[in-house]
Amino acid sequence: MKLPQEYNENAAITAEVLCRQYKGQPEPALDHFSLSIAKGEFYGLLGPNGAGKTTIMSILAGLQVPDSGNVRIHGMGYGRHGQVIKARIGLVPQDLALYQRLTGMENMWYFARLLGLSGQEAQVRIAESLEFCQLQDRARQPVLTYSGGMKRRLNLAIGLLNDPWVLFLDEPTVGVDTQSRHLIHQQLRQLHQRGTTILYTTHYMEEAQELCSRIAILDHGKILEEGAPKGLLSGSDHRNLEELFICLTGQQLRDD
Amino acid sequence: MQTILTTALKELLLLARDYAGLLVLFLMPVTLVVIITLVQENILQLSGQRPTEICVQDEDQGPFAQTMESYLETAQLQVRRWETSTEELRQAVTGGTCQAGLILGQDTSKQLQHQIGQQLVGESDVDSSISALSLDLFFDPATMVGFRAGIFARVQIAAQAAELEIKGARLGELLTEQAQGSAGVQAATPAGPNLREMFTSTLTSITERSSHSSQSTMAEVLNPVDRNVPAWALFGMFFTAIPIAGTILTERQTGIALRLTAMPVSPLGLLAGKMLAYLGVCTVQFLLIALVGMYLFPQLGLQAFSLPANPWNLLLPICTSSLAACGFGVWLGSICRSYEQASTLGATAVVAAAAMGGIMVPVYAMPPLMQQLSILSPLNWAITCFSDVLIRGNPLAATLNDQGRLLAFSLIMLILSWKRAYR
Repeated sequence: MKLPQEYNENAAITAEVLCRQYKGQPEPALDHFSLSIAKGEFYGLLGPNGAGKTTIMSILAGLQVPDSGNVRIHGMGYGRHGQVIKARIGLVPQDLALYQRLTGMENMWYFARLLGLSGQEAQVRIAESLEFCQLQDRARQPVLTYSGGMKRRLNLAIGLLNDPWVLFLDEPTVGVDTQSRHLIHQQLRQLHQRGTTILYTTHYMEEAQELCSRIAILDHGKILEEGAPKGLLSGSDHRNLEELFICLTGQQLRDD
Repeated sequence: MQTILTTALKELLLLARDYAGLLVLFLMPVTLVVIITLVQENILQLSGQRPTEICVQDEDQGPFAQTMESYLETAQLQVRRWETSTEELRQAVTGGTCQAGLILGQDTSKQLQHQIGQQLVGESDVDSSISALSLDLFFDPATMVGFRAGIFARVQIAAQAAELEIKGARLGELLTEQAQGSAGVQAATPAGPNLREMFTSTLTSITERSSHSSQSTMAEVLNPVDRNVPAWALFGMFFTAIPIAGTILTERQTGIALRLTAMPVSPLGLLAGKMLAYLGVCTVQFLLIALVGMYLFPQLGLQAFSLPANPWNLLLPICTSSLAACGFGVWLGSICRSYEQASTLGATAVVAAAAMGGIMVPVYAMPPLMQQLSILSPLNWAITCFSDVLIRGNPLAATLNDQGRLLAFSLIMLILSWKRAYR
């Protein structure tokens, strides 16, 4: 694929002064939010419900447009190079974005075709993704017969079909059994080692601590703390990320 | 194009796995057509009792035509004077612009008065030499049998009344002349039996003509099945809007829409793919219903559904009607937030559009306001296309206006859904 001049190999994600206010909401979802993620980083976004994680993820993945501010993926903006960017990012939504009545293979085939893959290339990518998520044996069975963990793995496998530059993962291990979670963690580590940039949101602090090379704790649409997990903890009195998280975001329940 | 074809194939795969959905999709309209046709068989044949417009071409310009028109008005027929050619009147009736057309031929009054004069002079062999004055009456082939019979009878009565009035006036003149003692009148006064004969026999007759050149005789009256099959097939086809909306809502609710939005494809392509898949579904629906009409109806004591001389003429109306139905489904899916909303709004809208469009009751049998509103319903455009091809025997070109409307409706729906469907 011919890349535009703006392509920057090193700056995977750059977000500059993003603002987003939803209608009828008293506070902005994003308040002059800026972020820079280098190529190959495993970046974790942590925050309570309503902190703005999903909004950031949506804007960075090109699902919605900010009220103001700029987003660049490898130096390219969605306005001019939306199609190029979308062909090279992978999104794994929090919901199981799968056609339940289709088989795992048919789901993969459909999304591969939409990503512009066809013929031999599509077959190879589908086979690799299925193998990566260890779903080869059940690929020809309807998704509705899969366990929760298998569905999560298929959800991830589809996100990997185009061998993405940047992988957006929105709580990919919610409701998953220990074995599947362990497998997903292993796969994500492998992806990270292969140089894929990963933006990851989760509510599991130990998961973020274990996987991410850098994390940001955010609330009210702003980053409160950012850095490598060890670095964040070494400069504070907190024993783990959870303590730091509670300290920064408070103990008040967030139900929306 | 790849997006459209891939999405269409995916939709068909999903449908093929949904056995209950398939059953509803295909069995529901077939059942509907069978039941409604059975129920309506007699009603449609007997209906047609409201004031109707009749287009009258007055080439006579004499007293008979004037009297006839006033009697037609008295008989609750709204007379619309037709000023252009007979051929255009024939086309207007064939096209459904007028339900009936009457031609009062040139010199009808003169000939009538001449024949009355002959009867009055009491020539014994007059009756045999006088040929009835034939008035041509045309009907829209899409009108019902009972409706035609009613109009025919009223036109016949109006003609007889007009003739009687002219006869009475002529007799009055004659008697006045006699009373004034004019010479030779006595001899010309009709005898008692002749006078009775003069008032009991009619000199005018109504001839029902085919308004279309392809129909040789109007004995080939409308087969209600030919109207019911496409009408209720269309009703069923428009109901596929609800499952189409359902697919969009499912994609939104399961997060698939998010995934699709993050991919390098246009929502237009995805929606067009859905429409392509359901275009196939609607076409199969129509074919299935047509087959039921052709082969099952005769077994149930109904008339068989008859295909036009060139059955391929049906293909384009089926496609454009299906696209309109699919477009509506896509729009429905884009504006509703839940399946409950889509099914309620979709069903209500389709029933209302069907009622308004003449699926349940022919448009000409509706009140004037509803007749005007009927042109807003896509189901009206669709059923008009099918009536043109199946009943009126019109060429496909005659349906292009309505097909254009259906296509435009489908495109507008698609464009309106473009930004909303996967938002």
